[in-house]
Amino acid sequence: MTGRARARARARGRPPGQEAATPAVGAASLQQALPSYPPGRQQPQQRLRPPSVSGERIGHGEQMPQDQDKTIGLQISAGFQKLSISDRGGRQRDFHDLGVNTRQGIEHVQESKTGSSGSVIKLTANYFRLTSRPQWVLYQYHVGYMPEMEARRLRSALLFQHEELIGRTHAFDGSILFLPRKLENKVTEVFSRTRSGEDVKITITLTNELPPNSPTCLQFYNIIFRRLLKMLNLQQIGRNYYNPSDPINIPNHRLMIWPGFTSSILQYEESIMLCTDVSHKVLRSETVLDFMYSLYYQVGELRFRDACAKELIGVIVLTKYNNRTYRVDDIDWEANPQCTFKRADGSEISYVDYYKKQYNQEITDLNQPVLISQSKRKRGTMMQGPVVLIPELCFLTGLTEKMRNDFNMMKDLAVHTRLPPEQREHEIGRLIDYIRKDDSVQKELRDWGLSFDSKLLSFSGRVVQGEKILQSGIAFDYNPQFADWSKEMRGAHLICAKPLDNWLLVYTRRNYDIANTLLQTLFKVTPSLGMRMNKATMIEVDDRTEAYLRVLQQSVTTDTNIAVCILSSSRKDKYDAIKKLLCTDCPIPSQCVIARTLSKPQTVVSIATKIALQMNCKMGGELWSVEIPLKQVMIVGIDCYHDTLSGKQSIAGFVASLNQPITRWFSRCALQGRGQELADGLKACLQSALREWYKWNKYLPSRIIVYRDGVGDGQLNTLVNYEVPQFLDCLKSIGKEYNPKLTVIVVKKRVNTRFFARIGGTLKNPPPGTVVDVEVTRPEWYDFFIVSQAVRNGCVAPTHYNVIYDTGKLKPDHIQRLTYKLCHLYYNWPGVIRVPAPCQYAHKLAFLVGQSIHREPNLLLSDRLYYL
Amino acid sequence: MAKNFQEQFTGIFTPPLYKQRYQFVKDIVGKYKPKKVADLGCSDCTLLWMLKFCSCIEVLAGVDICTSVMKEKMHRLSPLPGDYLQPAERRLTITLHHGSVAHKDPCMLGFDLVTCIELIEHLEESELEKFPEVVFGFMAPSIVVISTPNSEFNPLLPGVTLFRHPDHKFEWNQAQFQSWALETARCYDYSVEFTGVGHPPTGMKNVGFCTQIGVFVRKYPQTSQSAHSDKSTEAVYKTVFKAVYPSLKDEKYLQNAVISEVIFTAQIIKRSMLDHLVSEREEYNYDATERKSEFQPSMNCFSEDLGKPVVEKSMEPFVNRDVVYIPLKTIFSFPKVNQLCGTFEKLCKLIADKVTLSSDGSAMMLNTEHENEEN
Repeated sequence: MTGRARARARARGRPPGQEAATPAVGAASLQQALPSYPPGRQQPQQRLRPPSVSGERIGHGEQMPQDQDKTIGLQISAGFQKLSISDRGGRQRDFHDLGVNTRQGIEHVQESKTGSSGSVIKLTANYFRLTSRPQWVLYQYHVGYMPEMEARRLRSALLFQHEELIGRTHAFDGSILFLPRKLENKVTEVFSRTRSGEDVKITITLTNELPPNSPTCLQFYNIIFRRLLKMLNLQQIGRNYYNPSDPINIPNHRLMIWPGFTSSILQYEESIMLCTDVSHKVLRSETVLDFMYSLYYQVGELRFRDACAKELIGVIVLTKYNNRTYRVDDIDWEANPQCTFKRADGSEISYVDYYKKQYNQEITDLNQPVLISQSKRKRGTMMQGPVVLIPELCFLTGLTEKMRNDFNMMKDLAVHTRLPPEQREHEIGRLIDYIRKDDSVQKELRDWGLSFDSKLLSFSGRVVQGEKILQSGIAFDYNPQFADWSKEMRGAHLICAKPLDNWLLVYTRRNYDIANTLLQTLFKVTPSLGMRMNKATMIEVDDRTEAYLRVLQQSVTTDTNIAVCILSSSRKDKYDAIKKLLCTDCPIPSQCVIARTLSKPQTVVSIATKIALQMNCKMGGELWSVEIPLKQVMIVGIDCYHDTLSGKQSIAGFVASLNQPITRWFSRCALQGRGQELADGLKACLQSALREWYKWNKYLPSRIIVYRDGVGDGQLNTLVNYEVPQFLDCLKSIGKEYNPKLTVIVVKKRVNTRFFARIGGTLKNPPPGTVVDVEVTRPEWYDFFIVSQAVRNGCVAPTHYNVIYDTGKLKPDHIQRLTYKLCHLYYNWPGVIRVPAPCQYAHKLAFLVGQSIHREPNLLLSDRLYYL
Repeated sequence: MAKNFQEQFTGIFTPPLYKQRYQFVKDIVGKYKPKKVADLGCSDCTLLWMLKFCSCIEVLAGVDICTSVMKEKMHRLSPLPGDYLQPAERRLTITLHHGSVAHKDPCMLGFDLVTCIELIEHLEESELEKFPEVVFGFMAPSIVVISTPNSEFNPLLPGVTLFRHPDHKFEWNQAQFQSWALETARCYDYSVEFTGVGHPPTGMKNVGFCTQIGVFVRKYPQTSQSAHSDKSTEAVYKTVFKAVYPSLKDEKYLQNAVISEVIFTAQIIKRSMLDHLVSEREEYNYDATERKSEFQPSMNCFSEDLGKPVVEKSMEPFVNRDVVYIPLKTIFSFPKVNQLCGTFEKLCKLIADKVTLSSDGSAMMLNTEHENEEN
């Protein structure tokens, strides 16, 4: 390895365009966001956006009139929306992309979207069927008051004077009432009396009967399920529920892990199911103030504020006094806990007094700054200002980038969080056990007439055939169990080896020996790869960033193949500066190596081999290929990096294949400025990729397949309605006669779905090449799962592929096979990876640009994998 | 019981009257510092929720006749993540019972303060008759707070014709409430003082407070536990909710807290020692690959960070063959560890088997190898 730990860091996926404007820190707007503010103040009658309607397509068999389906969604009242929202954790996005029906637009998969090749494998998945009562219908009533009653509490109180009529199982938001049973009459009138002796006529009118798979019903099941989790004394943090009573402590890092569950109930291919997975919440038993103090001692006065901003902005904090999480958007150094704000009743109070009075929380440090969080919650039309948080009263949650890069910490964590299949299944089963054993939960379920299967869903998947790896003149198989061919490729020549005729090796005096070792070992390993190599121009520098930059500027010429820099530490600033120089003003491929990675004699040969391979790719070489039967096809990969720290810029990496065997790539990136849509930049990228393709092939591709990674939950709609049309526009602009087939596939790595295969009596991870396109897929999509990689510990995560646009008319089988083939082509890993190689390249590119370069790299490099 | 809508929505009072009632109870708690508090007719548990933040209270109980209203928001009485992340010193147990104030249940014995906020006016005549015997005779807490509407104020509330709430069985004027309260106090050997919240408009002082409150204080000393056992009563209440808050008084949480603190402290010491070591090496003997077998850093390099512990010579940590030794005495001298454990023996007991100690058990051992191993 080149030892770039930072490359392991994951760009945390956060959808662009969510950041609100700069905070106008003013007392008037602050008070509304303060946690004490009673939630009951919302106006129940305000019109909210109608929830998305799950199109016309319903699960197999149970067709129902379409118009009915449509009205369901639109008639949910604002108040009920809120009920669901607060139970969901206060966000208003549709995380499951429920309303987006893309399959209906793809003609050739109307009948079937399943493939057929490969051998059948028995699988189970972390899904439980919802076995609701036959003909289970949720009855929706409108409740009217005469005279009109305003307050929601009052409306509820008046209605529930008639509990004998309504029953104890109900959900009411102030105007819409849901019941699991039907009232005798379509319209029921009852009378209640207010405490002032006023008689009120209440009219309860049936407005809808919701079949079990209507979107409202689904939303409703989720709400009920969340209630159950709460009844089990699980704590809600964010979207998931955790068990606080049995935490795992990792004192070395001041971390605490809570085991918990994710859950969602959705309409899947054949039935409504609960998908639940084990989740671990990493909490930190230090407050933001503690953290600030230790940072202060680490970095000193001068760099303190910058360091705080860097470490804290973007992190999620948990308040001590209530159970809310906030994202830190800013730190206000001018303010302190003694500042005052205006309360709901108009009086001014300082934060110190407020927290003392309200929560008996002492704030001891009166000079600490305050944290600002832009609340994303929308409460009716109420103006929502930024929330002010006191560092001393906030716990840090999750891991920072720095912690993720801490190898030891991640190792310590993995012991607890990476559960092997057997154990994972056991943990998932525990949730179902809890539910079955808790009387009040059972009662609640019975009242609603809901029940769940007690066994994991089982079904059949397919394991597609392994691929032959092609190198110069030879083809070989690899062990499918490990999905890795590092052994097999030993001694085989690369498809295209680039010579190292003229190259630089830069090192510090201290690392002279290491530089020599690297040089000698490269001489040893390159011949077997087929790489020609001259001795490098060896340059010794001082261990300062400027020294490296000066030397590089002086020595790099247009003939330089590559510059290799040996760095004495993993200091990011030095690495960034070198990369920035060599990717922009002085565009040549570069390779940074941390000295320590070469310090162990027993591993030096294998590390030098890896470095040689990487250098070869960076210079435009090719390592291996797989057989690609499709001709004239251009494969595109897109991934995004969202820079939460500096400037909040989003960067999309765009990678397109250039040749028939799909071994060369054109790489560009689109930097999204403020207020710009990423898709505009992608359009320009596609245009230049087509031009480049033409240069290479003298014709244009007749088929374009786009793998789009980096799509957040709930963003599918934008993709379908905005990004895909932009691609089509771009193709149109190329020429009148040019009409290639376009396929757009959304790639999702972070899914809660897990598959288990029973092999030899124990539960194992399904083998690489496992394809699932039944049961756990969604009826309204042309989607499938592939397990492409092998993992050594823990459970393998399948990747979800959703074909959202397809005029290519390739059979599902072929799309699945092609996708799997593409997972073999990532040159930084001699094995199969989780996503198609172009997505991983795009990720690498976007990450490098977002982390180190911060501007578009020089286009002279765009035909090489310079960012590997 | 339910907050009276009238008071709340017409906004006659700022803050709303129900908040003033709760604040009144909070002030009583602040004054008398009771350890065990019960709220009879706890409704949606708002008062209990407010009281859970009062650090003197160790036991909180709520009783209501209606489970569904209790259950509606009872989960906010559960401990928060923060309570687990930094367990408090005090113990706190919150329990909700389903039952009637006309019935005795042994779980209600031994309380210091019992509050009945807007409760009695919801009681049927038969229940009201039994109420004093249950609260004052059986539970016999040191303090009882009873609030109820003052009917003399009703004409000033717009829209109120008969009672403020349809479920009210009666609303008393000041004389009625006071005579009932005085009689009850006399009968059970309590003293009572009258006050209220919700001041009448100026010039109408005679009307009295909108909500009248009686504060009863027991005149005889605490009955012993044995006295309670005489009152052997059958349990009739049903527990609907129970939350036990993590507390440092609980060995499990204390041990976790101590170990966390010890290991974290030790890590800081180790890191600063090693940093020091490295910079020293770089400065003076750059080419020497041999590490000095024993190295005594000055405490200055880290003592600032940790609140300047008092250090004796023998307590200094040292490095020997890739192992950092940190004497437990040093660790014990750090304020947070010291505060948590109290005694050195306690520290030793709590960390035994949980951290690696030197053969004589006097120092904690940390491997330095760990640090260099990064990939």
